[in-house]
Amino acid sequence: MSMFRDITIGQYLSGSSVVHRLDPRTKITIVGVFMVVLFTAASATAYGVLIAFTALAVALAHVPTGMLFRGLRPILFLLLLTFVLQLFLTRGRVLFELGPLVATWEGLRLGVFMVLRLLLLLVVASLLTLTTSPVSLTDGLEAILAPFGVVGVPAHELAMMMTIALRFIPTLMEEADKIMKAQMARGADFETGNPLRRVRSLVPLLVPLFVSAFRRADELATAMESRCYRGGTKRTRLNRLKAGALDALAAAATAVMALVVIGLRWWPFR
Amino acid sequence: MRKGITVHALVEAAVLVALATVLSVIVVYRAPQGGSVTPASMVPLLVLALRRGPRVGVMAGVVYGFLQLLIEPMVVHWAQLVLDYPLAFGLLGLAGFLGRQPYVAVVVAIAGRLASHVVSGVVFFAAYAPPGVDPWVYSLVYNSTYLVPEMALSLVVVFLLNAGTRGQILRKVG
Repeated sequence: MSMFRDITIGQYLSGSSVVHRLDPRTKITIVGVFMVVLFTAASATAYGVLIAFTALAVALAHVPTGMLFRGLRPILFLLLLTFVLQLFLTRGRVLFELGPLVATWEGLRLGVFMVLRLLLLLVVASLLTLTTSPVSLTDGLEAILAPFGVVGVPAHELAMMMTIALRFIPTLMEEADKIMKAQMARGADFETGNPLRRVRSLVPLLVPLFVSAFRRADELATAMESRCYRGGTKRTRLNRLKAGALDALAAAATAVMALVVIGLRWWPFR
Repeated sequence: MRKGITVHALVEAAVLVALATVLSVIVVYRAPQGGSVTPASMVPLLVLALRRGPRVGVMAGVVYGFLQLLIEPMVVHWAQLVLDYPLAFGLLGLAGFLGRQPYVAVVVAIAGRLASHVVSGVVFFAAYAPPGVDPWVYSLVYNSTYLVPEMALSLVVVFLLNAGTRGQILRKVG
């Protein structure tokens, strides 16, 4: 069906590398720390440390390099815009002139830093989703959010919602496709006309989809209730998350990286 | 379950999040720099908030935000990540406060989402752009280009669904 965009939920590639085997809690925390530390980097040395850290993680993960940059397309325009704006709007020593525009060395330096920053974010975020399945990401998030239960964050309910949603996306996708084809066989037209007309034409698709979603939800909820599901309290799991020596090592490496990068920012003898 | 979220509400939220995700990949119109108009992707979340109230609506929005993050990650800053994904869609749950006026609720909820994207755009500019560009204006204009049409279309769809099911779909439950 041409109207569906290609969809992959978290582009997970299964594997058994060191990075794959890390506990999802560790990986999510490392990515969070990395994202914050990244914004304190302001020198070539600091970026060097960040690049080395990222390169090490990529090498250990054994994922095809091309996959890491798959998310590049939507931010390509931003990368270019950021670089050009920095290059021409930063004041400093003249690098070259282009009509009324003056490019500066300082602008070039900042522009390169900003582009590196965006690229590192992209690579690190892709690495997380490439090496962690959506289900273990959900488990990790649940564990990380659980302590916030005291201030009212319903960690278990959110994770359960996510898990059920992940389970139903392929089912509803197939159903949407089927209903679309059925309506097209009856002469429905989804692909021509002005936007308003197209929205109207979606109603014969939406009504059956909603009806079926409510029906499935009702059936599943009844099934869960009849098996005495009653939320997160005192619930046990088949696969418990276990953090081991590997996780300690990764956390230590991240801590060293973070301290060095933050230290470089305020180190007086650069 | 604690605090009044029933198993039925939880599962309905999950399935409607799945439906919203499926609809989010049907594209009617794509804006030049990324934002795309998907006529109905917000509708399941809005319908859910109207039926089950703001708490369930916000939770579902947050989960939907995380799923969008997995499908099409666009990460430029840690604050932008929070603002553009879990928070922006979580704010759609605000519709649940205005169950009696569904159309006002749709407008308020999408305005909430817009606000979150606008602040996120400003964070992006603060982090990446040199001084001299007014980030608020730029961010508001950019985010409106796809959200205002999407709001209009969501209103039409909610209206058509409401009429098509004789008000059944938006009736408050639980």
